[in-house]
Amino acid sequence: MGHAYELILWNKYKKGYDKIIVLGMVLYLVLFATVTLTTNSETTIETLVLRAFGSLAFVMLHIILIIGPLCRLDSRFLPILYNRRHLGVSMFIAALIHGVFAIVQFHSLGNVNPIYSIFTSNIDYGSLTNFPFQVLGFFALMILFVMASTSHDFFLSNLSAKVWKILHMMVYVAYALIIAHVFLGTFQQEASLFTIAILILGFVILAVLHLTTAFKESKVDNNKAIEKEDWLEVCPISEIEEDRAKIFTVNNERVAIFKYDGKLSAIHNVCKHQGGPLGEGKIIDGCVTCPWHGFQYLPHNGQSPPPFTEKVATYKLKLTNEIVYIKPEAFEEGTEVEPCNYK
Amino acid sequence: MTSGLRKAHRYIWLVLFIAIPIMIVFATKNLSFSGPNSEQSSTTTFTEKSTKAAFENELVKVALYPTNVELILKRPLKNASCIVYAIDKNDVKTAIGQLTTPGKYQFKVTDLPENILIYDEIKDVLITKTNL
Repeated sequence: MGHAYELILWNKYKKGYDKIIVLGMVLYLVLFATVTLTTNSETTIETLVLRAFGSLAFVMLHIILIIGPLCRLDSRFLPILYNRRHLGVSMFIAALIHGVFAIVQFHSLGNVNPIYSIFTSNIDYGSLTNFPFQVLGFFALMILFVMASTSHDFFLSNLSAKVWKILHMMVYVAYALIIAHVFLGTFQQEASLFTIAILILGFVILAVLHLTTAFKESKVDNNKAIEKEDWLEVCPISEIEEDRAKIFTVNNERVAIFKYDGKLSAIHNVCKHQGGPLGEGKIIDGCVTCPWHGFQYLPHNGQSPPPFTEKVATYKLKLTNEIVYIKPEAFEEGTEVEPCNYK
Repeated sequence: MTSGLRKAHRYIWLVLFIAIPIMIVFATKNLSFSGPNSEQSSTTTFTEKSTKAAFENELVKVALYPTNVELILKRPLKNASCIVYAIDKNDVKTAIGQLTTPGKYQFKVTDLPENILIYDEIKDVLITKTNL
C-alpha cells in the first residue's frame, strides 16, 4: 500500500518472490537447452533461442492464469498472488525476446519493412492449418506490451480500477491468440503428438479450474437470504471467527461482515486496489487488510487510514437473538456506521 | 471482484472452453503426426513412379509428370516467403505456388517445365534451383 508513487516499492517478500522468478526462468532455459540438444543435436542456436523463450513465456502465462482460480479455491495459494504483476512483466520480457528474435531472424534481412513482412510473408489467410500464425503472435505481443506497461499502480490509479481491470482482462484475448499461435506454429513446423498432448493438457487444466471457480462463486451469489422487515438474515454470530469476516451477497454484490473487539461492521467486499476479496482478509492493527496486496480499510467507515484515500461502501447491521441481520441498502463509500456491539 | 467481473470471467472461459477445442480440431485434422526427427514415409517418396524427370538435393525432391510437378520439401525453411517457379525452354519463369512447411506439394502445369526454382521474394534470394 503506497501513498506516493515509486517505481517499485520493494520489500523483503517481493525480493524473495522475484529471485524465485529469475531462478525459475534460468532453470527452465538451461533445462530446455539441455533436453533439446540431447534429443536433437542438429538444432541451430537460432531455433533453440526462439523455442526456449517462446515456450518459457507460454508456460509462465499458464502459471499466471492458474494463480487466480487456485487462490479462490484454496487460500494457501494467496502468497503467490501477491506479486503476480512481476511474474506478468517477466513473462512479457520472455515473449518479447521470442518475438523480436523471430522478427530479426525471419523478417528483417530483406528490403521489406519487417512488420509488413509478418503480415505478407504467408498470405494463406483462408486456411486454418496453414494460417500465418506469426500474425497472431504479433497481436498477442502487442496486448502483453500494453498490459506490462500499464501494470504499475500509477496507471491503476489514473485509469480507474474499472478501466484498468477491463484493460487487463485483455489477457484472455492474448491467451486465445497465443494458443492459436503456438498450435498453428508448432504444427506447421513439426506435427508431434507429444506437443499437442502437452498443449491440450495445459488448456484443459486452466479451463477446468476457471470454470469450477466460476460456478462455485455463482452458487455463493445465488444464495437466497431470508428477509424480515427490510433486514436480511445473515447467520448466527458464532459462525464468524474473531478478526475475520463472513461474506454475504446483497443485491448481487458481496459484503464482508467483520467481527472484532466485541463489534460487528460490514463493508463492501471488493478492494479498491485490484478488486481483492476483503472478506477473505483479516483485521490487522484495527484495519481490514486485503489478502491480495495488503490495502487497509477501517471497518466502521470503509476508509483507508490517512494519508490514504481509498473508500468502500458500508452497511448497517443489527443483532437479534444471536442472529446477524444486514440492511441491504449500501451507504455512500466511506460513510461512518456505528458498529453493532455484541458483548 | 464485483459481480459484473465475476460474470464476465465466467462467460469468457465458457467461450474459450468451446472455441479453442474447435480451433484445435480444425487446425489439426489435415495433419499427420510424427516424432520430432522421424521422416514421414508418405512425404519422402513420390506418388507415382513414371516420372518424366526427377531431381533431389538436401532441401527438396522434385519430380515432373505430364500435367503436374510434385515437390517434397524435406526440412523447414528459414525463409518467410518461398515461391515456386516453373522455368520453360525460353528461360521464362512462371509462379506455380508457394512453400510453407515440410511435406509433399503438387502443382498443376500446362507445359512440362525445364526446371524448378524456389525463390524468396521478400529477401530477394534464390533458395534452390533444380538441374533436371
